[in-house]
Order: sequence, then C-alpha cells, then structure tokens
Amino acid sequence: MAARLGAGDRGQVKRGGFILFVGLLAFLGLVFYHPLFRVLQRGLTEGGKWSFSPLGTILTDGYYLHIIVFSLKQAIMSTLLSLGIGLPGAYLLTRYSFPGKTAIRSLTVIPFVLPAIVVALGFILFFGNSGWVNQWLMSLFHLSNPPLHILYSLTGIVLAHVFYNAPIVTRVVNAAWEGIDPEIDEAASSLGAGGIRRFVGITLPLLSPALLSSAALVFIFSFLSFPIVLTLGGARYATIEVGIYTLVRTLLDYRLGSALILVETALSLSFTYLYLKAEGGFAVLTQGSRRLVVYPLFVRKASIGRVFIVVYIVIISVFFLGPISSVLVDSLRVAGRWSCESYRQIFALSYNPFLGVSPLRTVLNSLFIGGIATAISLPVGTLIAMFAVRSRLPGRRLIEAILMAPLAVSSVAIGFAVLYGLGGAPLHLSGTLIAIALAHAILTYPFVVRVIRPVLEGLDPSLVEAARSLGASRNRAFFEVILPLIGPGMLAAAVFAFALSIGEMTATIMLMRPGLGTMPVAVYSLLSARQFGAASAMGMILIVVTAVAFLAIDRLGKRGTKCQSL
Amino acid sequence: MFNKLTVLFVVVLLATVVIGTGKERLVVYTYDSFVSWGPAAALEEVFESQHDCDLQFIAAGGAKTTLSRLLAERDASGTKADLFMAEVNEVPRIMNYDLFLPVTKEDIPNLALVPEELLLDPGGGFVPYEYGYITLTYDSQVLTEDELPRSLDQLSDPRYARMLVCEDPRTSSTGFSFLLWTIARFGEEGYLDFWQAIDPTILTITSGWSEAWAMLSHGEAPLIVSFSSDTAYGAMYEDSIRYRAFAPGGQGYRTVYGIGIVKETTKPELAKAFIDLLLSIEIQEQLPGTEIMIPANSHAQLPPEYDEYLVIPEDPLMLPLDLVGERMERWLHDWERAIVAK
Repeated sequence: MAARLGAGDRGQVKRGGFILFVGLLAFLGLVFYHPLFRVLQRGLTEGGKWSFSPLGTILTDGYYLHIIVFSLKQAIMSTLLSLGIGLPGAYLLTRYSFPGKTAIRSLTVIPFVLPAIVVALGFILFFGNSGWVNQWLMSLFHLSNPPLHILYSLTGIVLAHVFYNAPIVTRVVNAAWEGIDPEIDEAASSLGAGGIRRFVGITLPLLSPALLSSAALVFIFSFLSFPIVLTLGGARYATIEVGIYTLVRTLLDYRLGSALILVETALSLSFTYLYLKAEGGFAVLTQGSRRLVVYPLFVRKASIGRVFIVVYIVIISVFFLGPISSVLVDSLRVAGRWSCESYRQIFALSYNPFLGVSPLRTVLNSLFIGGIATAISLPVGTLIAMFAVRSRLPGRRLIEAILMAPLAVSSVAIGFAVLYGLGGAPLHLSGTLIAIALAHAILTYPFVVRVIRPVLEGLDPSLVEAARSLGASRNRAFFEVILPLIGPGMLAAAVFAFALSIGEMTATIMLMRPGLGTMPVAVYSLLSARQFGAASAMGMILIVVTAVAFLAIDRLGKRGTKCQSL
Repeated sequence: MFNKLTVLFVVVLLATVVIGTGKERLVVYTYDSFVSWGPAAALEEVFESQHDCDLQFIAAGGAKTTLSRLLAERDASGTKADLFMAEVNEVPRIMNYDLFLPVTKEDIPNLALVPEELLLDPGGGFVPYEYGYITLTYDSQVLTEDELPRSLDQLSDPRYARMLVCEDPRTSSTGFSFLLWTIARFGEEGYLDFWQAIDPTILTITSGWSEAWAMLSHGEAPLIVSFSSDTAYGAMYEDSIRYRAFAPGGQGYRTVYGIGIVKETTKPELAKAFIDLLLSIEIQEQLPGTEIMIPANSHAQLPPEYDEYLVIPEDPLMLPLDLVGERMERWLHDWERAIVAK
C-alpha cells in the first residue's frame, strides 16, 4: 500500500512509523529483552565472570537431567494421546452432520483456554480418591477402597494435558480436513482405490501439516506445563517449569534457576521453530470449490463403525464434561445441600487466611491486572502486526521472529525475568500488581498479533486509497476507514488478551507476594487447603469469563474478517 | 472501555488501601495453620484492645515457604514483616541470615516461665511458644489399630500401598521434621534406602501440612505425617476420634515453634509486647485447642482431652541443631535425588 502513495506521504508514513517502532522496541527492551538477557546472563556467570559452571551443574546433575527428561517424556505421551483422542473427533466433525455440530466445533476451543488450575481442580473433584468416579465405583461394587488411582501420578498429569489439548487437535485437523478438495478423493475412488488406501495415500498426506502443527502445539504446551504438574504431580513429579519455580521461589537459588531457564529456553525455541515450520506448511493445502460430502450421524442403521462412534462419544463426553460438571456442582453444594454460599464467600470482603487477603480482593486484583495488561498488549500487538504486514525492511522475518519471542519463552521464565530484571532499582516493581500486569502484557501481546495480523492482511488497500483520493487526511482515513474495519478484530484481540491474563497463574505465582493473589492463585490456594466449595465457585467464575470471552472471539472472528488465531 | 474499567478499579483499590490504613501496623509473618486454626483471631482482638495498632497476620504457605519469601523480600526491597514465626529447625538458617533481634527475660517477662530445655537458639532471638511431636495420624475408618505399622520400617509393607501422604521437606517444616526423623532413626547411611522402600506407600508428597491434613479429612488418604496431638484435637472439636495419632515403635520427632523480631523492624517495643502476650497464660492455654500443640509456658494448664489422648512418644528423637544447620542442604539435595529423580 505504501508503494502506491505519493513520495511526500511515504516519507511521512515512514517517519511516523519509525518513531512508533523505535518506541515499541525501547519498551520491549526495557520490560522483556533486557530482563530476559539478565536472567540468561545469570545462568552463564559465576562470581561475576562468564562461566559455563551453572550450566554444567544442570547438565551433569542426575536430578536436573531427570527433570528435563521427565518434561520431554510426559510431553511426548500427552501429545500422542491427544492425537489419539482428538483425531476421531476431527473425523466425526468433518464427515458427519448432527444437531449442534457448529456449537460443538465452537466449544472445542474452551478446554484449551480454560485456566489450567481449573482443569486440575476438576480432575481432583472428578477422578480423585474421594472424587465422583471413585465414589460411584465404590458404592456400585461395595468397595472399601477407591479402585481408581490416576491422580498424583504420570497418568494423571498426561490425562489432564489431554483434556485441554485434544480438543485443539480436533479443531485444527477438522479445519484442514474440510479444506481438502473432495475431487481428488473422488478421482482416486473412480480409479478403484479403496477407503483405507485413499485415507493413507491422499487424506493423511494432505492433513499432515495440520497434524504436525497441532502435535507441535500440544507438545510445547505440555512441555511447559506448570499448574497441572504442580497440583496433580506432588513433589515427586517435576517438569522443568516446576523445577525452576522450586529453585527460585523456595530454594532461592537464582544461579541454577537461571541456568535451567537457559536450557528450557533453548529447547522451547527449537520446538517453536519446528512448530512455525509445520504451520507454514498450511499454505500447500488445496482449497476445494466444493465441500466434502457429510453423512448424518444419527441413523437407524446399526454397524460396527457406528458402535465405535457411540462408544467414543460416550467416553469423551464423560471425560470432558465430568471434571467441568463436578466444578459446577461442587460450587453449588454446601454440606450436602444446594446453596449459593460458596459464591457469597467469593464476594466477601472479609479476610481469608488461605489467601492472605479477602477473596473479593483477588477478583479485583485479577480485573486490575487484566485491564492494565490488555491496555499494554493491545497497542504493542497491533503495532507489531502492522509492522509484519506493511514492512518491506530487509530481514523483517527475523525481526518479526524476535518480536514474537515471548511465545517461545516459558511463563515461569517471563515471571522470573520481570522479578529479577525489574524488581530492584531503578523501577522497584518487586511485589507490585504492575509487575504482574507487565508479565501478563508480555505473555499476551503475541496472541494479539496473531488475531490482528490476518485482519490487516485482509484489508483492501483500495478502500484507503479511495478515501485519500476523495480528500480525506491520513488520520481521517485511519479513523474513519481502517479503524471501523479492523475494530472487531481489535476488540477480539483485547478480549483474548484479557481472558488470557485473567486465567494466568504461572508468571503470577513467580511474582506474587502475600496479598497480591489473583483468581487462579486463589483457586490454587483454596484447592491446596481442600476448601473445594470456594475453590469451585472461584473456578466457575474463571470458566464463565474465559468461555464467554472465547465464544465472543469466535463470533467476532466470523462477523469480521477471517480470524483463525486458533 | 478498558480505560474506564481500569480507572474504576484503581479507584476501588485506592479506596480499600486508604480505608485499611491509618493506625500503626504490626505485621506478623506466620504459617497457614496458625491463622486458619491457631489463636490468630484471639491474639488480634486482645492485642488491638491493649495497644492502639493494627495487628496483621500474613500466612503464605507452610513455615518453610514463608521464610524463603521473607528472605527474598528482604533481599529485593525490604520486608514489611515485624515478627516472624518459624519451626526450630529453621534456626540455623535464621542465624545465617542474621534475621532476628536477640531478646531477654527483661524484654519479655513471660519468657521466665518457659523451661530452659526449649530455649534452643544460642543467638537468643528465637522465642519458643509451643512444642509437640511429629508422628503419624491414621483414619480409623480405613485402618484398625491392629493394622497399623509397628515401626517406620513396616511402612514399606505392600498393604499400605498408596496410603501415606507426607510433606515435602523442601517446603514444609513438618515434612522436614519427618526427614530428620528418618535420618535419626536409620542414620545418614540408611535413610535414603528407607525412603526408596516406602515409595510405593506414598500416595503423594504435598507442599505443606495443611494440604496433607485436608487430604486425610476429605477421605483422599488414610495415613499422613502429622502431629501427636491429632486425637486430642478430634476429641475436643469433632466429637470424634476418627483421625488418631500414633507413634510407630514408640518414636516421634520433637518439634518446637517459635517467634522472633525481624531486625529491620521500626517497632521493637510493640513487637516485644506481642511476644509477651503470646507467652501469657491466657493465650498459651488456648494453644492446645487451636494450634493443637503443647504450650511452652510451663504454668499453662492442659485441657482434659490432652491428658487422655495426647500421644507422647516414649522415644522422642531430635538431632542437634548445629548438625541440622551444617548438613541440611546436603540431606535435602540427596533426598531430592532419591525421591524425585528415581
């Protein structure tokens, strides 16, 4: 677009853009790159001098090696199982029609965006030793001991990861599957290829970019998982994230904590690179002129295939609805009766010893942090999206990758960077809500970019040109033409950032001190004290806030330009 | 839209801050159970009626977590804590960091009523206010008395598979005492073997005692590492002695809780007055019923339930504190490697 403007305009745009861009870099340098650099530097120094000794300790000590290997192991298991559970779902959504299909497709985004601590809570209430499933089994078979042991083990951790990652596999693969041109399949069929051969020879290769990309996404999220491992693992199971948290927050060992962050960041950068490569593969997908033929799911004719489908649907319904329903029911039951008492407790002004503040204060803290974080990440993300779409600078791909770096840095590391880099002089942000809000802004702005970028790409430059040729000033063209067009996208991005911040616990727990708790931290504290009623009520509020936010994004995305951030 | 919301919340937050301040504030960093179970509320009421100040308890996890947090705050930008409560095994670390202001019987008159054997801090800053024994506690609806392990060794029996919840010695003082118990019982050369042998018995390792107790009382596990006064607690409050303490092989580990004045405090006199109140007979007699511990003040009367149900191990163990201070890091390091990285 800039290329078509007059020479004078181009200079103006460039100068204005340049100033904004420098401001953006200065801000990110101050709150993110420099603090992160200091952490990484800490991991590479000993007694003030550059040294590999902390890194050496991490890479030769059996304990830290174990943590690294365990992180990888559970992430691989979580990824494989998420694919196993998610793929049949994608197949059902693609090839069959049934009532509520659109709604279910929209809902697949929910588990993924639920705060992980709420998933952990649901799992304890549903699968725990005194949870629903064990209670039913015990009363059904008159057992004296709970028969099902899945919590506090590798199985529990992996299943919880599957809970919130399998739906994303379903979502991504379903989107790719529906984009496949049915004519290729039909051509193969007319040449005599059977169903299995067509699936292996045609569908699978066409789906492989989507499979790889969703697998990489699940892998990265499981690899960097924190609240689930912390709650469902106990002290015996630690991922790198939990290891760093323990080193920094309880053992106060910044030296080894930083070195472990160094290792983690190197690993997650490699994984993120692979993910972005796989995602780039989406471009080769064929977009057919016709849609795939779909079959009604519910017909009277019974077959083995249908039986499998029904069994699958029953299992995933129990698996996905069980934990969420148990949070809902538990929030409404007090001492065996239906009651709103737990919700009254959440909005109480009185001090709660488990939280260190009143529950209402944690709600207000969350809203305040979410507001500030969104107010920062929205302009930062929009500027980066504009840069990515408009810039013709040489090496802009690399600059873009560097600007999106928080995606590849774990939440614990970002929390520690803010703590270590900004906690002391000159800003003295240690133990403030602002420090937490800054960490959230860093964590959320890449997602703002991902929502706004496709909106900007879809913008027709001729509209602006038309406005300009009709005499509108640059500012007027921006406010009256561009802004209304990208408005829904901006709103979606803001809601997205806000909801991510509201549900964020990991960086928060790295930065908080007594009295600064947010809602997810409150759920964690109440859950640890087995104050299930209050924990569930708080958890329900988080579920509703995130669900409403993401359903709104889903709608906004459809109404405006295509926004396929997830 | 967010700007308006933000302004609104800033106003709300500022308002709460403004309303909350005004008086001189004395801040006590304590552990979860002192506030949720302990005499914190009673102390606050009495102290605030005697002194014109706002007494605030801040509980942020188990005793070990709170110390780390305090030290980190002190390191970063100063702490607002005036007083700090801790378990006695933290004394070496507290001395290392020179955290406490030394106090004497002249400062705190009630200190004269505390037996010498409880005054374990050579620096004189750590004032004991209660003590007890770490033992095991079981759910009598799941296990009968005959089924209990006769000694720690028997915990490795497969019949106890996935029954025991213990606390993480890195984050919990109860868990740390249990670790010291195993070291005192099996020696430095044998304790890791014991831990590996009971690995199948351990359901999970929680970060603090409150979590372990919550799991016991919510039916998630029938056996936890806890305090020898648990039966008496049930008799006093639950009208039931479903959860009962027992000392396997007549053993238990001695634990002492104390309080100290943080050196940086600007209110040392107020802080001393608080410790004196904590050691007063009035508050000390509440400890058996709230903290479920034995008062440090030897003139305090024990409730009748304690006479009946308090388990006092015939063979109470306690390692010398200087040894604990010297070896603590290595023990934790080795434990971590034996239990987490199996």
